[in-house]
Amino acid sequence: MSLAARHLEANGLPTVIMGCAKDIVEHCGVPRFLFSDFPLGNSAGRPFDRESQAQTLELALRVLETAPAARTTVQSPLRWSEDASWKLDFNDLSKLTPEALAERRREFEVVKSVAKSKRESA
Amino acid sequence: MSITTAPSAPGTVAAEHDLPIPYMQRTRDYYQALGFPAYRWSHYVDVPFTPLARPLSRARVALITTAAPFQPGLGDQGPGAPYNAGAKFYKVYSMPSDSEPDLRISHVGYDRKHTTAADPNTYLPLARLKEAVAAGRIGALTERVHGAPTNRSQRVTMETDVVELLHRCREDGADAVVLVPS
Repeated sequence: MSLAARHLEANGLPTVIMGCAKDIVEHCGVPRFLFSDFPLGNSAGRPFDRESQAQTLELALRVLETAPAARTTVQSPLRWSEDASWKLDFNDLSKLTPEALAERRREFEVVKSVAKSKRESA
Repeated sequence: MSITTAPSAPGTVAAEHDLPIPYMQRTRDYYQALGFPAYRWSHYVDVPFTPLARPLSRARVALITTAAPFQPGLGDQGPGAPYNAGAKFYKVYSMPSDSEPDLRISHVGYDRKHTTAADPNTYLPLARLKEAVAAGRIGALTERVHGAPTNRSQRVTMETDVVELLHRCREDGADAVVLVPS
């Protein structure tokens, strides 16, 4: 998505990305980015919370209008929860036994082969 | 509009781990432990920038999503579904923005422990964008919403997908684009 924003922008179309993966988007380098510090999958606001979604969109629109230069990131002030411990869980290896790790490896091999055959038939 | 945060008292000190998640490091460590080679994320020196040419209230805005059209028969794509590579797509698609397209995110690595993707408005701000049009905040939406493939190959993304997305946004007369990765 970052690559799309860059290409659109290089060709005269202003963009804003709404996203939750701050490091990945900034590592690529994009013109404008509204970062929500939420679990991946909630780039546009909290589930079943119209107010949160409206606020998130409004912030993104303001970033679109007012960013002074490329690589402008604004972080939404909204919090996912009072307790930030959810951030420790993503791809957390420390809780995985060797057996669980081997199972994840098998699952990922399956996923990769499904994706490969889909891609090749696309 | 007032922007609210969670109800912490002013000046509350954050926990040490209360930072944006370092996804690249976590992902590298995770796949290394599983025995797979490291993925290299895109990384550029330069970043293009184009100012808005007109006020948003008179602008036509396009929405680009990484969500996938629901495809019956391709396995569980519902809320909380396990990662479903079978639901992935590899070509840019478009859907009318005046509909309510059934778009899902079972084909990407969202945070399945802490969210379920039960409310599409968390990854597709189409309804909120329509409200912004109705309120006069933005001039209009383009007639189509565009879907961007989440292809692992940056070469395919650069040579094919982003070129097609630009082409479609131009066809639609977009003045600005909101992109929402899921």
